[in-house]
Amino acid sequence: MSQSKDMGPVLLLPESILRLTGPGPRILELCDGSRTLADVVSALQSEFSDADPELIRREVLAFLTALLERRALDFA
Amino acid sequence: MTYTPHALIAEVTHRCPLRCVYCSNPVEMRSRSSELSTAEWKRVFSEAADLGALQLHLTGGEPLARADTEQLVMAGRAAGLYVNLITSGIGLAEPRLEALVSAGLDHIQLSFQDSEQLYADEIAGTRAHAAKLELAGRIRKHRVAFTMNIVVHRRNLARLPEMIALAEELQVSRLEVANVQYYGWAFENRSRLLPTREQVRDTIAIVDAARERLKGHMRIDCVLPDYYARYPKACMGGWGQGLILVDPAGVVLPCHAARVIPGLHFDDVRSKPLRWIWEESAAFQRFRGDEWMQEPCRSCERKTRDFGGCRCQAFLYTADAAATDPVCSLSPKRSLIDAVIANAPATDGDDQPPHWVYRINPTNVPTPELR
Repeated sequence: MSQSKDMGPVLLLPESILRLTGPGPRILELCDGSRTLADVVSALQSEFSDADPELIRREVLAFLTALLERRALDFA
Repeated sequence: MTYTPHALIAEVTHRCPLRCVYCSNPVEMRSRSSELSTAEWKRVFSEAADLGALQLHLTGGEPLARADTEQLVMAGRAAGLYVNLITSGIGLAEPRLEALVSAGLDHIQLSFQDSEQLYADEIAGTRAHAAKLELAGRIRKHRVAFTMNIVVHRRNLARLPEMIALAEELQVSRLEVANVQYYGWAFENRSRLLPTREQVRDTIAIVDAARERLKGHMRIDCVLPDYYARYPKACMGGWGQGLILVDPAGVVLPCHAARVIPGLHFDDVRSKPLRWIWEESAAFQRFRGDEWMQEPCRSCERKTRDFGGCRCQAFLYTADAAATDPVCSLSPKRSLIDAVIANAPATDGDDQPPHWVYRINPTNVPTPELR
């Protein structure tokens, strides 16, 4: 993850740059190699306690699956 | 409108142990004695980062032909850049691989010429395939992102399934199946490299099936030959709009091939700041935006998507770098591309190696006459 002067937070991949919006940067910050998927989801559920917890779970899963398919991350 | 070069392509040398028939280097290469020093590259990396660059692609020639590649990786990281090494891997022994990874290398792109040694070595003009296989096994043991790149063309596309299987066997996380782009040495060999229409159709089907099967394990990026396309590629994301290339001698270009266009003066980092070259130099402004466009581009609704295609290709075929890219079906010169397709052999069934023009290494002797 990096900070771009004109695009804001970005994730740098081998041949591309992904612009991160909304909770994207926060989700990736939590993916620190020690938290499990469940840890990441519950951390976000408590940070955004007025949002629907099930919606948060689904959106985090969709976001990380998309990144997995781009081979930008791994589930250990 | 302001433009930011998000990636710096650093062509750190034109020297290379391989002689690939589709090398993207210009036919007129830079000699070793003209190459930028380590200190000069370091300055270029920080100037690029100041301009907003996020990524550094170390390429060549073979970037490992320089003795200071590890220092260049370190300098790129120190400037805050994501560092990618684009390499043939030849001669990359374990201690040096370790040093590159400890210097902070983020990603290695290792090139392969084929899945079969005999054909791979024919294309590379030297014995290289076995060394690449051995190196790939070592790379994946390191904590560094790893892409396998295979350049495809008429003579190897029959083995695309085997090439994908090789990538699986080597456990790479990303595979690039890149059709040759016809510039530099590849332009000299274009009639021998251009795939048939059937091969292009098969490629799409094979890659789609492999993507589905390997989802979540391996990402496959695929580049198709633009000669068969209806519309041109958005070359480099537009001239001087998002990418900046510095050649071995420090000359700053909007792409690998731009030096073929006559009448443009490209400035160099020894005499001008990178920011001035990007923002103010005439060459970088020449094809920015759409003021320079002719019809049919000028009134085309696609002009903000593909920027009229590639300026170098326009020049190579029409002798006018401001013309519509001739691969475009709307170009009045499209027949020039159709003629190349019509003149290429209709099948891939030739077992004899064609009469290749091999890339030469830079020397201080003038380039021999080609064609």
